[in-house]
Amino acid sequence: MRTGDQFRFVRQNMKKNKTRLFMTVLATAMGCAFLIVLASVGFGLQRSIVDEMVGDRLVTAIEVHGKDTNVHETSELTGEDLRQMRSLPGVKAVTYRNYIGQWMNPSIQGEPVGSNSVLQLDFEAEKEAGFDLAAGSTPQADDEIVIGYHIRELPPVEGANGEIVSPGPEELPDASEWLGEKMAFEVAYYENGEKRTKAVEATVVGVAAIPAKEWERDKNIYVGEGVLKRIEAITGTRFGELPYFDKEPTAEQIEQAMSEMPKPEEERSYNRVNVIAKTAQEVKGISEKLREDGYYNYSIADELKQVNVMFLIMKIGLVFVGTIAVLIASIGIFNTMTMAVTERAGDIGIMKAIGARPSVIRRIFLLESGMIGLLGALIGTAVSYAISAAVNAGLPLLITALMEEKLPAEFRFSVIPPYLAVLSCVIALGVAVLSGYRPAKRATRVDVLRALRRDL
Amino acid sequence: MIELKGISHRFEIGKKGRERVVPVLHDIDLRIAESEIVSIVGRSGSGKSTLLNIMSGYIRPTAGSIHVRGRELTKLDESQWAAFRLANYGFIFQSFQLIPSMTAYENVELPMVLQGIPEKKRKRKALALMEQVGLAPYAGHYPGELSGGQQQRVSVARALVLEPPIVLADEPSGSLDSENEKQLLTMIKQLNHEFGITFVIITHDDQVASIAHRTIRLQDGRIVSNAAPRREEMPI
Repeated sequence: MRTGDQFRFVRQNMKKNKTRLFMTVLATAMGCAFLIVLASVGFGLQRSIVDEMVGDRLVTAIEVHGKDTNVHETSELTGEDLRQMRSLPGVKAVTYRNYIGQWMNPSIQGEPVGSNSVLQLDFEAEKEAGFDLAAGSTPQADDEIVIGYHIRELPPVEGANGEIVSPGPEELPDASEWLGEKMAFEVAYYENGEKRTKAVEATVVGVAAIPAKEWERDKNIYVGEGVLKRIEAITGTRFGELPYFDKEPTAEQIEQAMSEMPKPEEERSYNRVNVIAKTAQEVKGISEKLREDGYYNYSIADELKQVNVMFLIMKIGLVFVGTIAVLIASIGIFNTMTMAVTERAGDIGIMKAIGARPSVIRRIFLLESGMIGLLGALIGTAVSYAISAAVNAGLPLLITALMEEKLPAEFRFSVIPPYLAVLSCVIALGVAVLSGYRPAKRATRVDVLRALRRDL
Repeated sequence: MIELKGISHRFEIGKKGRERVVPVLHDIDLRIAESEIVSIVGRSGSGKSTLLNIMSGYIRPTAGSIHVRGRELTKLDESQWAAFRLANYGFIFQSFQLIPSMTAYENVELPMVLQGIPEKKRKRKALALMEQVGLAPYAGHYPGELSGGQQQRVSVARALVLEPPIVLADEPSGSLDSENEKQLLTMIKQLNHEFGITFVIITHDDQVASIAHRTIRLQDGRIVSNAAPRREEMPI
C-alpha cells in the first residue's frame, strides 16, 4: 500500500467522528501547551536572572589583565588587542579605564572636588556595556564629562567626643546639582625646567548610577578621549603623566626625565580592560578563546556554572512535569484509537479478508494516532507562543498595578527557544504514537470471520 | 489448481478448562481443476463454510494440507496468507461485505490500493470494470444508497479487479431476488467462459449449483457425493 493512500485512508477515518477527534486533538494541544509554557518559565527566569539581573555586567564581563609574553611581545594591551577582542563572536563591547597620570585639583566654581581619580574611558563602549547614569546624559562633545554618584560625599569628621563620624546619606549633597557646571582642572607640565599649570575646563553632563555594591563609593571623574588629548597636548606625555622626583630636580634632570617619558603619539596601553559578552552563555566560549590567543582573563561566569546547572535541573524538572500532562492527554488518544478500532472492526475484517496485511492495518492506525499527536503538538505550540507573549506583556503591568514594583524593561517571565518547541512536538508525537500502538496492534488481531459476521 | 489433502477440522467451544471439541470436517480430499466451477452444497452445519474458510486462509485446519496453484499454504503465516489471498483470490460474500464509508468506486479499487497500484491505473481499471457490471453511473454512491443487486455487482467487480485466477463465493445469491440471482449466475458463467476463472461456490440453492461443472455434497463434515462434470459443461 502506497504512503499517499495510507494518508488518504487516515484522513477519511479521521473525518468519521469529528467531535471525538477535536476533543482528542484539544487534549493533546493542551498537554503540549502546558509542557511548553511550564518549561518556558524556566528558560525565561534563567535568561532574565542570569543575563539581565545578576548578569548584566557582573556575569557577562571578562576581565583581561594582560598578555602572555610567550605568545605576545609585551604584556600590555594595545588598541589592536582591543579591536581583536571586539571582533570575537558573542562580544557586545570592550571597555577600558585608563588613569590620568596626575592629580589635577579639579574644582567647580572654585570649590575643590573631592574626587578619588580621573578616569579616561570610551563612553560608546561603556554605554553598550551597561554603564548607567543616575542623571544627565553620556558625553557627546569632547569637553563633556561624567561624575561619580558619591563625588560630593563629605569626608568623615571628628565628633564632639573625638570620635570619627561619617556624614549620613541624608547629608550627601546631590551630585546632579553640578550638571551643566564647568569643572576646572589644573594640568601641571614642565617648561624650560620649571613646573607650571594650565587650566582645562570641561562641562559636567552626567552623574554615574549608584554602584550595585552598596559599600562602594563612586567618587571618580570620567572623561573621554577629547579631554585626555587636551591634557596630553599640554604635558607632552602619554596620559598626562609627569616624572616623579624624590627631591627638587634640576632643569637637566627634568629634561632628561621628560625625554624618557612615553609620548602621546606612541601606542597607548589600556588598563582595566573588560570584554562584555552578549549573554552569560557566551562568556565561557569567549573566555576560552581569549586564553587560547594568549590573553590572561577572569570572569565570574566561571563560578556561575553551578547556577546554570541549577537552572538546567529546574528546566529538566519542568519538562518532566509537563510531559506528565502530555501523558495524561495520551490517555485520550488511547481511548479514541481503541474506540476507532472497535467501530471499524468490520471494515478491518473486510480489508483483511480481501488481503490486507496486518502490517498495513497497524501502520494506518499508528499514522492516525501520530496525526492526532502532530495536530495537537502544532496547535499547542502556537497557543504556547501566544500565552508566552501575553504573559510577558501582561505580567509586568499586573505587578506594577498590584505591587507597585517595576520589573526591568527586558525582563521575560517566559521564553520559548525553538528547540523547546521542537522537543515538545517530538514528545507529543512520540507519546501519541506510543498510545496508539496497542489499539493498532489490536486492530491487526481482529478476527476476520467474526468481523464478517459483524460479531464484534 | 486447488488440492485439499486429508483436511480435518474441529472447533473447541466452551470455557477454558471445560472446552468441548466439535469436529466439523473429517479427512476431506478434494481437487479442483483450473477453470472449473465447483459448487459445494450441504445442509447447515455440514461444514461447507468451514471448508471455504480453510481454503481462504481465515482458519487453519486441524489436520491436512492445502495446495493452491502448486503452493503449500498450510504453513504460511498471517501476513503471507494475506499476500496470497490478494494475489490469487477474489471473494464474493453473501452479505456483499462492502465498506459502508467508502463509495462503490472506492470499494472496487480497494484491492488495487492494497496491492500498491498507482492511482491512474487504478482509476482506469476500476471504472472499466464498473462499466462492465453496469454500475458506472453509481461509482460515487455509497453502499447504503445501492440496491442488493447493485451491491453484489460492486462486490463482484471488487473480486475481479485484480484479475484473480480463483474466485471463492460464499452463498453469493443468498441476499438477492430471483432476477438479480439470474444476472449474477449469468455473469459467473460468462467470466468462467471468457477468462477461465475458477469458481468455488458455497450454496444451498439448486439453481446456483446447476451452473457448476461439478457439485460436491457435504454431510456431517464428509464428502458424500462428488458428481462428475457433465460432458456438455466440461470446463474449457
